[in-house]
Amino acid sequence: MTHQDFDAIVVGSGITGGLAAKQLTEAGLKVLMLERGRPIEHGADYTTEMKTPWEMPFRGEGDAALYARDYPVQQLNRHFTEFTQNHFVNDAQNPYEVGEGAFTWFRSYQMGGRSLTWGRQCYRWSDYDFGANKRDGHGTDWPIRYADLAPWYDKVEEFVGVSGAKEGLAQLPDGHFQPPMALNIVEQTVREKILKQWPDRCLTVGRTANLTEAKPELGRGPCQYRNICMRGCSFGAYFSTQSSTLPAATATGRLTVITNAQVEKVDYDPASRRVTGVRWIDTQTKARKSATARMVFLNAGAFNSVHLLLNSGSEAMPGGLANGSGVLGTHIMDHANTLSAAAIMPGFEQHTTFGNRPTGIVIPRFRNLEKLDGDGFTRGYSFQGGALQSTWTAGEREAGIGAEYKNHLREPGAWRMVLVVFAESVPRVTNRLALSKKLDPLGVPQLEISFNHGKEEMAALADAKKEAATMLSAAGGHVIFGFDRPGPGGTAIHEMGGARMGHDPATSVLNKWSQAHQIDNLFVTDGAQMSSSACQNPSLTYMALTARAADYAVTQMKAGAI
Amino acid sequence: MKTNGWNRRSFLSAAGLLAAAMGTTPGRLLAALPAGEAPTAQQSALLREVSQLVIPRTTTAGAGEVGTGAFLSLALAHGLKGTRAPVKDAPAGWVLRADGSLRHDLWLQQELNRRAKGDFMAQTPAQRHALLAALDAEAFPEGPPPAQPSPWRAIKTLILTGYYTSEEGGSKELRYDPVPGRWDNDIPLHKGDRAWSSDWTAVDFG
Repeated sequence: MTHQDFDAIVVGSGITGGLAAKQLTEAGLKVLMLERGRPIEHGADYTTEMKTPWEMPFRGEGDAALYARDYPVQQLNRHFTEFTQNHFVNDAQNPYEVGEGAFTWFRSYQMGGRSLTWGRQCYRWSDYDFGANKRDGHGTDWPIRYADLAPWYDKVEEFVGVSGAKEGLAQLPDGHFQPPMALNIVEQTVREKILKQWPDRCLTVGRTANLTEAKPELGRGPCQYRNICMRGCSFGAYFSTQSSTLPAATATGRLTVITNAQVEKVDYDPASRRVTGVRWIDTQTKARKSATARMVFLNAGAFNSVHLLLNSGSEAMPGGLANGSGVLGTHIMDHANTLSAAAIMPGFEQHTTFGNRPTGIVIPRFRNLEKLDGDGFTRGYSFQGGALQSTWTAGEREAGIGAEYKNHLREPGAWRMVLVVFAESVPRVTNRLALSKKLDPLGVPQLEISFNHGKEEMAALADAKKEAATMLSAAGGHVIFGFDRPGPGGTAIHEMGGARMGHDPATSVLNKWSQAHQIDNLFVTDGAQMSSSACQNPSLTYMALTARAADYAVTQMKAGAI
Repeated sequence: MKTNGWNRRSFLSAAGLLAAAMGTTPGRLLAALPAGEAPTAQQSALLREVSQLVIPRTTTAGAGEVGTGAFLSLALAHGLKGTRAPVKDAPAGWVLRADGSLRHDLWLQQELNRRAKGDFMAQTPAQRHALLAALDAEAFPEGPPPAQPSPWRAIKTLILTGYYTSEEGGSKELRYDPVPGRWDNDIPLHKGDRAWSSDWTAVDFG
């Protein structure tokens, strides 16, 4: 069965796919959005959202036997629980291979993709980031700078709804923010003590896609301070495809959505040097289907978009679609991620909080800015984390039984503060994606991921451990532990790269418009396009790039150029 | 792969089907345990009693009273908190499954009977408390953690989990608010104010 004649096909319905569909339909295009996973209706299908632990068969902990069998990777995600397991993939049914090194690939195959399960942190990148490759020679120079993206950050933040505090930092530019959520008393105190000793280190509340003010035009209410976002939020208080981009795109009347559609290939016509459409497998009936369009946007998630390009090779393009450079699949990145320090914070025993704030704090990068002051590393790192009081789970580590023990656990425990580091991943040719010889259950070659953190990331994490301990100690904390070795690749869930943007068609896949150098009507606007990783959470930048690319594509199409 | 009537594949299929079905309850999951994993009446009574000793009745009900013993049986059979991980260098006398994991319930029974020099359950309530308190204290030694932590630590963790995720423990002993609706970043904490079982970050990080 062939679906005819769309102006654009968008592959993927996550953070960037949903936004691409919105931008393109609002510009007047007739769009087909394909999603490999099941449909999820906003609100109605958030089946665990309102459940209490005592209503769950395994009290929210989940069935460890089931997880060992079907979710061996996904269960390693701290946010994977009995409440959220239906928003993550079944690893047994969605296998991938690891070549060199290690990679834990956290995935959400469903309408809305990982927009339902993301951490919601929204940070602009700066010219320290877009200039990083040129400065130290790793990877290839970005063909854009902050000024190219700033207006698109404005537009995207306005639509998404990002709460945050303006701080006037060059390395973490201010945005178009809703009012910030407040720091708690411990975080506020630590902020002040750090600033006093290190004027260039600014602890601020996380900039998060949770509304502090309603957006009634989209039916979105403000955050209810539950902090159970990943179950799905029927208040629409955090940005997801379901809460935001899908209703906007649907309202145009120009969007067609097909779920359970695993795209297998993008079709390429060597005569016209254009892509003509895509083919997919209906995962329920196994039927093969296809559709044609004037342009294709790949938004399947960084690694899956690259996978699709690799799997779309042809006689005309034997190494994969748009891979004339030979770099397709290479230079993949994540962030090197670990808990740098945890400290007891005495002196706040008379203080507490009410409600569950759905974001932590951030201490933006302070290394390798105007001067290269990193010992063994030239990129950045930043901390996220926060201060919290313990509850009953603290009892797991304490001796005691009986009434006294029970009464002790009845009250909030000591304040503690944690700093978790995200260090920039250096783009390396050896960290790469390839097609495996093994097939998935539908007969499509699996993706093989090779990934190792390098010595620069190790050096950054060693510095981060030292600095985290120094700052928390200076703020009055007693550091109890910290680590300087990262989790395996994928731990940060910021995997990106593989179809990098660059000036030169000989060394990059995409041009500065997220458009394939070789194919004018093919755009890749998810994490695959990234040439470097910065140390900020990347989703907001993917969205700004998507909005910018969509605008360019529409202009080009209307001018008859594509 | 069979041991004590345990067939992992059939058990997983049964549990998976049950869990997928609407209206699955812990009781039905417990009833679905294979013969070797299902607790005997004696074991159920012991797990209930031990749960109650850890979290006794105060102004609210104790852990044993609210079904934590049954939760413990289910949790241990399904391997919650890593309890189905293979044990390396198991001391003599530990009962292992074919997959190399420890039968925590049998270990507890043996250990308490050994300490009681007879039937733990036949001791007076005060003796039972003292025997369990001694076992508990030894499981949390000073200094760096031992190479082979006491299996009691996992059992105790599951007792706390069972209790504080029950309606009694979660919403009467502690406080539970499904929709706080606001964020107060600094309010006074008074002696006797109860902690929140719905503070998910606190639960997560302990």
